[in-house]
Amino acid sequence: MISYRTIALRKLASIGPRYLPFADVATEEVPLSRLIRLSLFQVTVGMALVLLVGTLNRVMIVELAVPATLVAGMLALPLLFAPLRTFIGFKSDTHKSALGWRRVPFIWKGTMYQFGGFAVMPFALLVLSGYAEAVDAPRFVGLGSAALAFLLVGAGLHIVQTVGLALATDLVKEEDHPKVVGLMYVMLLLGMVVSALVYGALLENYTPGRLIQVIQGSAVLTIILNVIALWKQETRNPARAREMEAAPQEHFKTAWSNLVAQKGMVRLLVVIGLGTFGYGMADVLLEPYGGQALGLSVAQTTKLTALLAAGTLLGFGIASRALGQGGDPARLAVIGALIGVPGFAAIVLASAFVGPALFIVGTGMTGLGAGLFGHATLTATIRNAPSGQVGLSIGTWGAVQATCAGVGIALAGVVRDILVAPGAITGSQAHMPYNVVFTIEIACLVLAVVVAVPLVARRMKPSRRQDTVQQPNPVEVP
Amino acid sequence: MSDDPDKVGPTGLTLKEAEEVHSYLIDGTRVFGLIALLAHVLTAFTTPWLG
Repeated sequence: MISYRTIALRKLASIGPRYLPFADVATEEVPLSRLIRLSLFQVTVGMALVLLVGTLNRVMIVELAVPATLVAGMLALPLLFAPLRTFIGFKSDTHKSALGWRRVPFIWKGTMYQFGGFAVMPFALLVLSGYAEAVDAPRFVGLGSAALAFLLVGAGLHIVQTVGLALATDLVKEEDHPKVVGLMYVMLLLGMVVSALVYGALLENYTPGRLIQVIQGSAVLTIILNVIALWKQETRNPARAREMEAAPQEHFKTAWSNLVAQKGMVRLLVVIGLGTFGYGMADVLLEPYGGQALGLSVAQTTKLTALLAAGTLLGFGIASRALGQGGDPARLAVIGALIGVPGFAAIVLASAFVGPALFIVGTGMTGLGAGLFGHATLTATIRNAPSGQVGLSIGTWGAVQATCAGVGIALAGVVRDILVAPGAITGSQAHMPYNVVFTIEIACLVLAVVVAVPLVARRMKPSRRQDTVQQPNPVEVP
Repeated sequence: MSDDPDKVGPTGLTLKEAEEVHSYLIDGTRVFGLIALLAHVLTAFTTPWLG
């Protein structure tokens, strides 16, 4: 009997660790397959973003007949959580764990919130819209539960993205950071494009049952993809666990002032805010602008969005290459913002004389610029991070980026709704309000460039000295 | 398995580590439980099944 017990125990011991979510050994070189697996969390973030910004926006207004102002308010709720990203990043930096984990617990919690929000959301929306017997339900039930669902999804996606990016940065060596940033961005874009297509196809014939299936399907997919993503990514590290236990409790205030004291950090954050705001507004407006002002068909404007995405992809690719070969992220960010200026100018001019051809060129250029700018600013943030505070740094980047993009998209949405409303200006005057917005975007990008120039100038001096010592002929990619 | 006296059980985790893994499990159960409860209440509002 006893020998059976020993055999069973030994058997268990040999298979046990395989079914636990951590790697036993830290490997020096992280293989690409593992990074791609990790980047799956960005797919779920993209999915959630598309569902919130695009799909549910339409479904709530059109199919569920919820007042548009209420919809706008609900969809703005996840934005409230964006500034807290800074704090989340800080928490993950200073997390104490017996396993030596810093990031995985947060990704897991974020995943749970995201799942929870999606799981409750369809029912909350049905109650909110007064479907079936829910007409008799007190008003606060629908409002409260829908708000809670959106808050949960928002909190979840902000936590997952912040800490996930921090984990990705932890895993690779510094010179490989641009590649990882590129990979993460590409997966986010991929997640958004694919889920937008899938949601569109699935919700074509809308029924309440279908809505429940789609949103809860997203919930299940979120948890599956995120668990695959974080499985065995962080090593179990007794040495680090002892370090964590011994480490003095750091205060958020000191860490924050430490980060802000970093040379050029505040300036970089302002640049990120301005640039993201400028590019963020374009996403929503390009399609209706093409349709209303230039008379393009729906199929043509959809291709336009594809062109925008392709330009962005190209931007990520170029940025990964250039920064991987030692390019200066600040300079690339300036280039990224600068490309947007003629891009938007072309879009504005397209309505004046030249027409769709110029519009297409402009769209491609803004896509390219947005890709370069996004990649370069995130890489700059990671490189600027004080040691051991990558999470805080990425959290701050995310807070600025998500807030500005969100506000930009929301503002653009308001502008679009005013324009698309019946009785609004039509015909030859339709392009006017759009052009005002595009001009504001140009102004934001120019401002971003102006603010960023000292960053580039500062970088030039020491790097030139280094170049002469270390690399006589650095490879530069234009 | 190593000879580390801290390690307990077949997985080779120390007591503290095992407790931490367990705490994630408990947290998960609580959150998922609450979510399920809320979803059931909301469904009951839309299509009452308890009479």
